[in-house]
Amino acid sequence: MGSSQSTSEEVRELVGKTGFSSDQIEQLHRRFKQLSGNQLTIRNLRKAPTGLADEINFEDFLTIMSYFRPIETNMDEEQLEHCRKEKLRFLFHMYDSDSDGRITLEEYRNVVEELLSGNPHIEKESARSIADGAMMEAASVCVGQMQPDQVYEGITFDDFLKIWQGIDIETKMHVRFLNMETIALCH
Amino acid sequence: MFLLLPFNSLIVNLLGISLTVLFTLLLVFIIVPAIFGVSFGIRKLYMKTLLKIFAWATLRMERGAKEKNHQLYKPYTNGIIAKDPTSLEEEIKEIRKSGSNKALDTPEFELSDIFYFCRKGMETIMDDEVTKRFSAEELESWNLLSRTNYNFQYISLRLTVLWGLGVLIRYCFLLPLRIALAFTGVSLLVVGTTMVGYLPNGRFKEFMSKHVHLMCYRICVRALTAIITYHDRENRPRNGGICVANHTSPIDVIILASDGYYAMVGQIHGGLMGVIQKAMVKACPHVWFERSEVKDRHLVAERLTEHVQDKSKLPILIFPEGTCINNTSVMMFKKGSFEIGATVYPVAIKYDPQFGDAFWNSSKYGMVTYLLRMMTSWAIVCSVWYLPPMTREANEDAVHFANRVKSAIARQGGLVDLLWDGGLKREKVKDTFKEEQQKLYSKMIVGNHEDRSRS
Repeated sequence: MGSSQSTSEEVRELVGKTGFSSDQIEQLHRRFKQLSGNQLTIRNLRKAPTGLADEINFEDFLTIMSYFRPIETNMDEEQLEHCRKEKLRFLFHMYDSDSDGRITLEEYRNVVEELLSGNPHIEKESARSIADGAMMEAASVCVGQMQPDQVYEGITFDDFLKIWQGIDIETKMHVRFLNMETIALCH
Repeated sequence: MFLLLPFNSLIVNLLGISLTVLFTLLLVFIIVPAIFGVSFGIRKLYMKTLLKIFAWATLRMERGAKEKNHQLYKPYTNGIIAKDPTSLEEEIKEIRKSGSNKALDTPEFELSDIFYFCRKGMETIMDDEVTKRFSAEELESWNLLSRTNYNFQYISLRLTVLWGLGVLIRYCFLLPLRIALAFTGVSLLVVGTTMVGYLPNGRFKEFMSKHVHLMCYRICVRALTAIITYHDRENRPRNGGICVANHTSPIDVIILASDGYYAMVGQIHGGLMGVIQKAMVKACPHVWFERSEVKDRHLVAERLTEHVQDKSKLPILIFPEGTCINNTSVMMFKKGSFEIGATVYPVAIKYDPQFGDAFWNSSKYGMVTYLLRMMTSWAIVCSVWYLPPMTREANEDAVHFANRVKSAIARQGGLVDLLWDGGLKREKVKDTFKEEQQKLYSKMIVGNHEDRSRS
């Protein structure tokens, strides 16, 4: 609506940055307005004071959404690598809650606990042991055999990439966006 | 001043005559048919004319848009993303398959499992099934009301003139007419039922009460220019039963009650509504609750059961969703009315949004604003289907029965059948839902522990 110069330019910028089509951006913008209650930003909803930002605006929102765009067939090697890295970095941040660049054992445990906490049959100990086992597994991939007194600090982003090297995991991490092509005008 | 006098009397005479003519026309064409339940077919003719005008307008817009190389239609389909109807287990298994070379049935946590949750979470942030039910449905083409104009810009002069004419007709001719009718209908209801209340109990009183109610509801239907098509009228609710329908607006009550004689259930309000309610209950036993009693589910169930067991009493009209939904879906039916054990008569109501959107978005509009919007739309067009009666089966619990009725209504009305609670309009999702997902996932991971702990 009301295609003033500035908004269409903004949209074009966003199209270039994120790769969404202008129709998709419009649709997501309406969703953003609904989620933010017609404000310009969405506030951090978590009760604990965690997270890097207190609020995000529409551009941040779109950028995050663009991590979930499917890999296009016409991408070259470099773009593919970049895409893959972005997706995996997003997931890395999901684990690394204090954003210090390392997934420590504590953070890993937290994630596992949160995913499992609804089940009354699982005690905290079993959740912990599951997390510990998985962490050991990750350590063995990254560092190889450890000395008995060597302490594993945590998984860095490079280690994270190493775990997924050669495995095509990022094809599982996309949302299938419907192509919002307009109906062709009849007659 | 001398010269004005004859003019004055002339004008007064003209006014008097035109008012009398108008009043007679009103009486003959609207009120008398309402009393007897017949129709001249004026509203259907009106609807056909409107459809022709809309079709013409749409053609003009398409032509105009083509000339200017405009995009005309934006397909607001079922959302921006295509969702896979697969389960948590299937998805995680697939992710693990492509993630590692280990055996698939070892129950342990994988780093890649989080992919599934991230993706599902993102999908829901972008588009979910529930929140869009609480705002009005969007039309694909324009129906010449500025309130539904989402992306139709100025196309041609003729169209704008048509729109302007529409505004004039709706606000200056239809609106006063409708308000007059509504006023007549409501006052007749109050006066009529109070008068019937003075009659001694008996068949005559019942007869009068039924016809007073029906007449007033029919006048109200004409006040909204509601064009209703009833299907399968042989399934109409009978005494001792409960009539259950999907809820879109307060107008649903008027639509159903103009074709059948029901006992209403509800909370006593103050103001005009309260006056109407108190008058109505004098003529026949409706079930009104005080505000304090509404919270007591036991009391409510008791009174409803009492009413239903008396076979001479009228069928109860209930909207189990509890809140207004935008008529694209049916949300969770509250089980209270299904526990009573009476025969349930489901009714599906589907509005045609092209002539006027009947959904009451109570967070956006108050009651008066809503009624004004209704009265300045073109018309309210809807279809009502009376479904065959259903009863609770022997080993079925109330929730299952409620869902069965809900599916039948959704199927008939062409609405989406959702399990979510309409109360989500105002409240957040309960934690138990989140816990369900966690339980499902942990079953996958830990699996056998559950059985072990049971034995």
